[in-house]
Amino acid sequence: MKNTIAIAKKEMNIYFATPIAWVVFTLFVLIGSYFFLQLLNSYELASLQYMRFNAPEMMNRLNFQDVIFRNLFGNLGVILIFLMPLLTMRLIAEEKNAKTIELLYSAPIKPGDIVFGKFLGALTVVSIALALTLIYPVLVQMVAKDAAGVEWRAVLLGYFGLWLLGAAYLAVGMFVSALTDSQAIAALVGFVLALLTWIIGWAAQQAEGSWRDTITYLAATSHLDAFSRGVVELKDIIYFLTLIIVGLFATHRAVEAHRWS
Amino acid sequence: MIEVSHLVKSYRDLKAVQDVSFKVEKGEIVGFLGPNGAGKTTTMRMITGVLPPTSGSVKVAGFDVFEQPLEVKRRIGYLPETPPVYVEMTVRAYLNFVAEIKGVSSKARKGEIERVSTKTNCDKFIQRVIGNLSKGQKQRVGLAQALLGDPEVLILDEPTVGLDPAQIIEVRELIKSLAGKHTIVLSTHILPEVVMTCQRVLIISQGKVVADDTLRGLQNAHAGAATADGHPGPAPSLEEIFLKLTSA
Repeated sequence: MKNTIAIAKKEMNIYFATPIAWVVFTLFVLIGSYFFLQLLNSYELASLQYMRFNAPEMMNRLNFQDVIFRNLFGNLGVILIFLMPLLTMRLIAEEKNAKTIELLYSAPIKPGDIVFGKFLGALTVVSIALALTLIYPVLVQMVAKDAAGVEWRAVLLGYFGLWLLGAAYLAVGMFVSALTDSQAIAALVGFVLALLTWIIGWAAQQAEGSWRDTITYLAATSHLDAFSRGVVELKDIIYFLTLIIVGLFATHRAVEAHRWS
Repeated sequence: MIEVSHLVKSYRDLKAVQDVSFKVEKGEIVGFLGPNGAGKTTTMRMITGVLPPTSGSVKVAGFDVFEQPLEVKRRIGYLPETPPVYVEMTVRAYLNFVAEIKGVSSKARKGEIERVSTKTNCDKFIQRVIGNLSKGQKQRVGLAQALLGDPEVLILDEPTVGLDPAQIIEVRELIKSLAGKHTIVLSTHILPEVVMTCQRVLIISQGKVVADDTLRGLQNAHAGAATADGHPGPAPSLEEIFLKLTSA
């Protein structure tokens, strides 16, 4: 565990010494804020319209969670597809390219320490990026005087879902980084794999029967949405955990295989 | 201290190291010579546990590299061919990280970093970012890293490459000062360096050991023909021996 933390600290040191962490934070908050303002605007429009047409039953159904946060989390998930490869591309490819991996191989640590330490380092950056966007629900809570306010349970669950999604993309991206010594290739393939978990859901609309269920399960979208609706089931958690564990395990194997090659 | 027996490493159809065996006693300094591509770096990587051998075994302090890699790695300081430095970090942060993964306790870490950076003259630029250092400075940081934790065995792959003449002398003195207490295997292309620092010479060529002896022993073995009145022939220089053995 001590070695894992040492590696994680080293990764953080490099993320913050280079622009990478700052670029991720800036882009995440910038694009996130754009989506948030759009959604806030649409909430405002909807409530104005319902008032004008005097539709109290519609007004009652209007809430922050469905109109703003569910969509916001979906959008933040899309941003993760672009940003996670930025974090993972260098993790192992750079060490191989700069030959610094020899230091890790000759140190009295296990390959598992290397893989898990790097994962934790990147995950910390993701956690900070997500925490920065907590400003949105806090702002809504502050301005929502007479309305029901923010459903914090659902919002926090949504964040937990996003965090799991980010972790899954990190694990998969790190695996790709372990297969090459080119950071560009690691970023590109990592991005395509993350994108795949998203666009595969579109195919579900044309599929039928059990195919439809299978494809829907494979897509990250439905699982992420389950979190922000506040109706998480075990299958949603298992989906993300599977991606994380398979990604980490595959990375571990790839690091070992690299030594043998 | 180091026991290499029948070490083989092959990459597909290329045999980089073929049946290399040698022993290094405790406290010895061995010069590891050979032309480029002879298998020096590959052998050193296998001793340090970076690269698993195709066959054969390496034992360090009685522990098999393959069976008990952590025990071996705890006892080895390794300076690879390319100094394994993270260019984004400062020298101090880097040495602190290496001390951590080498298991130097948090109490001893500061003193240990102080010690190795003074020894390798890294203390003057310890606050600087490694990416901004010169080649020779990076090489010294690599050397400092290898000394962290005071390991019994040092494997140094071309430790003086990229250094200026004054620094080469400093590093040579440093290696000499480590003699006795540490067991050192160092590879180099600078033959006078071997003559000045090493007690034993190991020459490999095309993946095979072609000489393993003291310098004196090598000179005797390769001495020119004795003169008519019984005097031994002129002692050849290490350079001549090296060229003779590796040209075959």
